[in-house]
Amino acid sequence: MGVTAARTPAGRWPVVRPRLGLAARLGLAAVWLFAGGAKVGDLAASGRAVNAYQVMPYEVATAIGAALPFVELALGLLLLAGLATRLSAGISAALLVVFIAGIASAWARGLAIDCGCFGSGGQLAAGQAPSYLPEILRDLGFLALAGFLLIWPRSPYSVDGWLAGDPPVEEDDDE
Amino acid sequence: MSSRKERNQAARVVREQLAREKRRKRTLWTSVGAVVVLVIAGLIGWSVYSSQKSDTFTAPPGANDAGTGVVLGTGPVTIDLYEDYLCPVCKEFQQTSGETINQLVSSGKAKVVFHPVAYLNRFSTTEYSTRSSAASGCAAKGGKFKEFTDALFAQQPPEGSAGLSNDQLIDIGAGVGLNKDDFGSCVKDGTYTAWTEHVTEDASKDGVTGTPTLKVNGTAVSDRSPAGITAAVEAAGK
Repeated sequence: MGVTAARTPAGRWPVVRPRLGLAARLGLAAVWLFAGGAKVGDLAASGRAVNAYQVMPYEVATAIGAALPFVELALGLLLLAGLATRLSAGISAALLVVFIAGIASAWARGLAIDCGCFGSGGQLAAGQAPSYLPEILRDLGFLALAGFLLIWPRSPYSVDGWLAGDPPVEEDDDE
Repeated sequence: MSSRKERNQAARVVREQLAREKRRKRTLWTSVGAVVVLVIAGLIGWSVYSSQKSDTFTAPPGANDAGTGVVLGTGPVTIDLYEDYLCPVCKEFQQTSGETINQLVSSGKAKVVFHPVAYLNRFSTTEYSTRSSAASGCAAKGGKFKEFTDALFAQQPPEGSAGLSNDQLIDIGAGVGLNKDDFGSCVKDGTYTAWTEHVTEDASKDGVTGTPTLKVNGTAVSDRSPAGITAAVEAAGK
């Protein structure tokens, strides 16, 4: 029994992996679409949220704050379509690392700000405690999704798979 | 026999190489396409933001020289107040410390520069923060900025709602003694919308990241209680 129990998960991996890949891809797509969608309606506020981190000059912060929601939406659409999945996952991971570093540095410097991850952002009112740890843990979870797609980018129902003419479950380790 | 085997093998190697080459090209082009999409998306965001920004503004009468706030009083110490008419903590602050500030102004110890920033537009469905701030510029034009500000905080709509309509803002203005026709057309035309944008951007540049923010002679004061404000003004006046 011990032998079969050990063998079964390994045997099921080729079946499970594409499903996990699809879940990770759509999950990460949803994250970016929500994050971008929440900010796209008020680009000036998005710039203020970036500026609240106090890591770059105001003009740079507002330009990044204006561009970021659209980049997030575009990343979400690329992942939703499954186009250039490995690259999109890599850029997602890089962005998430930057966000985590930003939140950690705000924490370390004792700033009292909202991360501005899904809209809002900026300094908190007196008496409101910042929630840096949950924000970082959440971003680490998103980073795990991106990491999975970096290692195994191919998933069913993706443009990448369609372009390759592959059956969705094909091994593909050299994309 | 063995030579045919070798030929077959060689052909397979060539086929595999061609397939690999094809795959590499496909990956390259999809990657280039994706990067182009992301760069274009970023440029769209930046240009949308730039086109939304207006370059010129007219500050209302009673504004400071920089046009970043409305001045009340003439005292030697400057109290900068950054508030959003939709911000509930600002309303609380006005209730607990507003009277203290009024006394400091009326006793000639301090003047107030009130910056009606529009930080919370996302928390109303009708950009109430911008509309109310621009309306306060109209009230300044009619000489009733303070009265209008107090009335707006007293009738503050909840966050997440549509806020007060322009008609309601005009009624409130008329209620504090503003000329309903002049004030009404000023509110409806958005005469001071560009000014609100300037006030808001200038506050962000000065590192004001939330409302309310209180500064005494340019230094942020975290204790916004009546005692804290009085102490900060006394210290600055020495």
